[in-house]
Amino acid sequence: MVERLKNFIGGQWVESSAASTIPVHNPATCELLAECPDSTRADVDAAVRAASAAYDDWRRTPVLSRAQYMYRFKALLEDRFEDLANTVVRENGKTKDEARGEVRRGIESVDFAASVPTIMRGYKVEDISSGIDETAERQPLGVFAAITPFNFPMMVPLWFLPTAITCGNTYVVKPSPQTPLSMQLVYELLEELDLPEGVVNLVHGGREASMAVMEHPDVVGVSFVGSTPVAKIVYETCAKHGKRVQAQGGAKNYIAVMPDANIEASVANIMGSAFGCAGQRCLAGSVVVAVGDAYEPLRNELVKRAGMLRVGYGLNESTQMGTVISAAAKERINSLIEQGVTEGAQPVLDGRGIRVDGFEDGSFVGPTILDGVEPDMTVAKEEIFGPVLSIMHAPDFDSAVDMINQSRYGNAASIFTSSGKYAREFKYRVRAGNIGINVGVAAATASFPFGGQKESFFGDLHGQGPDSIEFFTDRKILIERWL
Amino acid sequence: MTALNSFGAVLTYAIELETRLRDYYQAAGNADRAKEADARRARLERVRRENVVEITLEAIDGLNAEDFTPNLEDTSAEGQRAVEAAAARFYTTAAPKINVREARSALERCAKQHAALA
Repeated sequence: MVERLKNFIGGQWVESSAASTIPVHNPATCELLAECPDSTRADVDAAVRAASAAYDDWRRTPVLSRAQYMYRFKALLEDRFEDLANTVVRENGKTKDEARGEVRRGIESVDFAASVPTIMRGYKVEDISSGIDETAERQPLGVFAAITPFNFPMMVPLWFLPTAITCGNTYVVKPSPQTPLSMQLVYELLEELDLPEGVVNLVHGGREASMAVMEHPDVVGVSFVGSTPVAKIVYETCAKHGKRVQAQGGAKNYIAVMPDANIEASVANIMGSAFGCAGQRCLAGSVVVAVGDAYEPLRNELVKRAGMLRVGYGLNESTQMGTVISAAAKERINSLIEQGVTEGAQPVLDGRGIRVDGFEDGSFVGPTILDGVEPDMTVAKEEIFGPVLSIMHAPDFDSAVDMINQSRYGNAASIFTSSGKYAREFKYRVRAGNIGINVGVAAATASFPFGGQKESFFGDLHGQGPDSIEFFTDRKILIERWL
Repeated sequence: MTALNSFGAVLTYAIELETRLRDYYQAAGNADRAKEADARRARLERVRRENVVEITLEAIDGLNAEDFTPNLEDTSAEGQRAVEAAAARFYTTAAPKINVREARSALERCAKQHAALA
């Protein structure tokens, strides 16, 4: 009998009122790991009420005291580091190193939150008129919530929750029903922190719970990470209900490789970008644009290196690429590869039909490289969210930039070059929120905002860094005179 | 062959190696060396935890666990020197393949310590 997960509301683990559950499978072994409740509006309402009830006392808790919880939270996360990484692998399918990297980045967000007392500051100007001073103070706002994706089940919620609560807000997380176990474990650690009841709450579930979060009148702001179609819905729904919102959507990240690039070193890094996390990350390099004479050596090296990647179960340390999230995702990715081939791309490395000994039913898609991809092909335009790298050929730098800027997405783009001139021009002209110069995964660290433009981001303030302080606080203006 | 083909695979092998060395020296009645091995294990666990960075995760080639397997049956003085030599050879070979500075430094430090005992 597998565990039916409980929600964490008001400091207690409670059964959801949901009649139905969503099975959580290990995508490599197909083992049934848990049953995730498809929580109801009533469950969300209970969580938001608990968070609302906790808000006033929590807000009045000195910020230095709030930050102390983060130091202890960090210590617990470090202590359970390997357990957390293993949980991520089991429910998501990524490799052990990728899971460790995810946990590390989650902890970095906790580090950042511990610094809130030094960065959640206002400002003041004396004598804006005779004897009158003006001050801008930062204040928390109330109950915030996050709706988070399967691909980084541990890290993404921690982009938001630690900073939000250290700023004085209270919080509700609604994780992906495909990967709820990482947050389950994180909340067990949060429970150990002995935070006041209701400061942090966890509601499992799917669409009904997400809609309830977005429509609840007492939720003041929502952070979302997921696909672009859903990000649009989240943005519109939250705006309609008068909430702050930051909605990170999908991506189609381009990597330009100039003829002057160190091809071998570039490809070693591009491998991680294209095939890391089996391509299931919003910073995954999805299209390589080989510029001029870079094309042939680049293609050959890519095919050689990708063909050597060891695909398998993530808990095996020798595995270099794990599974995609589900059989349905595998089918979708395979069908997009087929569509690319039908439209004229050449599969110079085809990962469909890969067989992994001992895990024959796992959701594996091997590294796939499509050559001869043209800008109007589906594989050049649509997010595949799998280990599929398309190769395009541009005659020169300007053409490469034009190709990249045609994309409706603008999450990330990278250039591999030894030319400072091209690097600067690329950074200056490419319309993407995260730019890599000889770096294939341009991932912002916790003290910088996670960029995103065009249909990769809906909102004004990004996640992480100074933007997160802006998002989780409001400025109140005080104009004072003493008579 | 057990490929040590990633940051984690190399660091995990090193951690397991130091754990086995700790047990080996305990069995040999050499408490000081057992303590040193355990200190290295703890340091390597911290280094693996704190220095795994997705930006720089790259595949590693040409490193297999079987090439460095120490003979832990022989606890004689000569056997201990051979064990230390095998460990030093592992760290010396592995360190340049790691692209994260602190992790590479930790492996180099282990190499020096083992080489001094070989």
